[in-house]
Amino acid sequence: MSTKVTINRLATGVPGLDEVLGGGLPEFSFNMIAGPPGCGKTTLAHQMMFALATPERPALFFTVLGEPPLKMLRYQQQFDFFDSEAINQSIRYVNLADDTLAGNLDEVLRRIVSEVEAHSPALVFVDSFRSVVLASQTQDNPNNNLPQFVQQLGMLMTTWQATTFLIGEYFTETDTNPIFTVADGLIWLRQSVERNSMVRKMEIMKMRGQPTLPGLHTFRIASSGIKVFAPAALNPVEAPLEFPIKRLKMGVPQLDDMLGGGLPRGYSLLVAGPSGSGKSILAASFLAEGARNGETGVIAVFEQRPNHSQNATLAGLIQSGQVGLVDSRAPDLSIDEIVQLLLSEISRLKASRVVIDSLSGFELALAPTFREDFRESLSRMVTALTSAGVSVLMTSELEDRYTDLRFSPYGTAFLTDAIIVQRYIEVQSRLLRIMAVVKVRASAHSDELRLYRIDDNGVQIGEMLPDQEGLLGGRPTRQSPGIDNG
Amino acid sequence: MSTLSEESRRIVASLAHRVGPNADIEKVAQAIVSTLQDMGAALTAIIGQQGVAALYRRSLHLSTSTHPRLAGTYDSVQSSMDLTALSSVLAEQSEADALFFGEVLLTTYYELLTTLIGPSLTARLLSGVWEPSLSDTPSQENSP
Repeated sequence: MSTKVTINRLATGVPGLDEVLGGGLPEFSFNMIAGPPGCGKTTLAHQMMFALATPERPALFFTVLGEPPLKMLRYQQQFDFFDSEAINQSIRYVNLADDTLAGNLDEVLRRIVSEVEAHSPALVFVDSFRSVVLASQTQDNPNNNLPQFVQQLGMLMTTWQATTFLIGEYFTETDTNPIFTVADGLIWLRQSVERNSMVRKMEIMKMRGQPTLPGLHTFRIASSGIKVFAPAALNPVEAPLEFPIKRLKMGVPQLDDMLGGGLPRGYSLLVAGPSGSGKSILAASFLAEGARNGETGVIAVFEQRPNHSQNATLAGLIQSGQVGLVDSRAPDLSIDEIVQLLLSEISRLKASRVVIDSLSGFELALAPTFREDFRESLSRMVTALTSAGVSVLMTSELEDRYTDLRFSPYGTAFLTDAIIVQRYIEVQSRLLRIMAVVKVRASAHSDELRLYRIDDNGVQIGEMLPDQEGLLGGRPTRQSPGIDNG
Repeated sequence: MSTLSEESRRIVASLAHRVGPNADIEKVAQAIVSTLQDMGAALTAIIGQQGVAALYRRSLHLSTSTHPRLAGTYDSVQSSMDLTALSSVLAEQSEADALFFGEVLLTTYYELLTTLIGPSLTARLLSGVWEPSLSDTPSQENSP
């Protein structure tokens, strides 16, 4: 085994990209960064280049026809990773515009090779490679010797131990293109537009020799550069349920009794109820109870005006740092971005309790392109969070329909380990609230429908209404005495 | 602005250094042209010949429009990118006038580049030009 070649994997310096690539960038690979204009190809190249280039193993950045280098330098400077000190030290720009204009690919190849031999770069970039191709096609011979050129370039670069990136505008990945065949790696960047929203997505269509994460991965471009939101790594061996089950107190003693002694640790709990039924208050007391026992928590708020909807207890916990607040106002969120925000906050605080308030707000915060897959997204989030070992309380707005009994508007009830449902009922011209524990996986729990009210101390659970029936219909009727309601 | 004036002092000092102790018009012209060549050489590798030519012409244009008294003399130069044309126009001036023009042009060139790619990168790319001992390095390095 030890006689086999070891392929070093370079850390790209782009957050999340190494995970998506399946462990980093294979050294000496010959890659293509493709996508339509404005999708972040040049930025991606620069970010990797500034992270990886050293004075001993510099980077060569060949600029061809396309974005004028002066402008590229002007705009790339805006990113935090751009370091002027590196230019002409560990990073060299080489302008090939004149050579390319002549349309002679042999001459372009000769220039590239002579620069590579002069500087022994660890990294080589050609931006934009598409213009090399187009320039060559203006010759009498429309196909020129492009396949041969690409093949030679790939061979030479690898022999000179350079990890190479060709950057090009391509619109459809189905083009039969010699570059796509020769390249070891093919990174596609896209901007997916749906209605008013735009989401950037990256796909590793090919990366020889390593298990990349399949599918489209969202990324953002901020002043720090590109950030890829890789799906959360799931722990393949989930910790088995421990017996006796350790339980978390909810901060409402009677509710703990109804749950069979509290919420089992590592469970996900859905609190479903109509607007104003006290879901957020229950969530706050869940976090406050944790803080009382020295546990930390994280709350993700997806409301338009989070500061206005917070209650005093929660605000105090956030202020004191016992609860971390994830309040991303960024538009067009993806599920992986949210999960990453949550997980980083969870690991920062070593949190054991997580609240998502509410799923309805969360759905609105997601970019429209993800809404169709909302159930799937939610399932991934719940799995990622519970496999991180935390207990999750999610609230869900439930339109009160008195004709059917539903626990969540998304058909997502099966995703969670436990469900508490809240409803309004009308009794003697009053609007009363009732609460019930519908499900606690692998645990005994109460089947009672209990009245509750909300006061300054939070949720107060009261009695059952044994002389009423049809509570779930919202308009209970008084039972005739003497009839056993079994 | 303080860094820029520091840079322009450096440009003026470098030019004076190139001219040497006994200034005659030939030496002045030679110093200006060689400085432009070194700047061009440092930049051509990165932004290409056309990029450099565009910068040079813009600098000439800006110099003559801020200092109208230069306009009459140097208008003829603008039509061509040829440094020998500049050199022959310079040869007909007095030393003081030629030196003044050189300082204006080089400083303007530098400031123009600064507005495009920022002070630190400009300083970085052109650092070799001002170092008297290194004045030959960039052109050597960048010859293909």
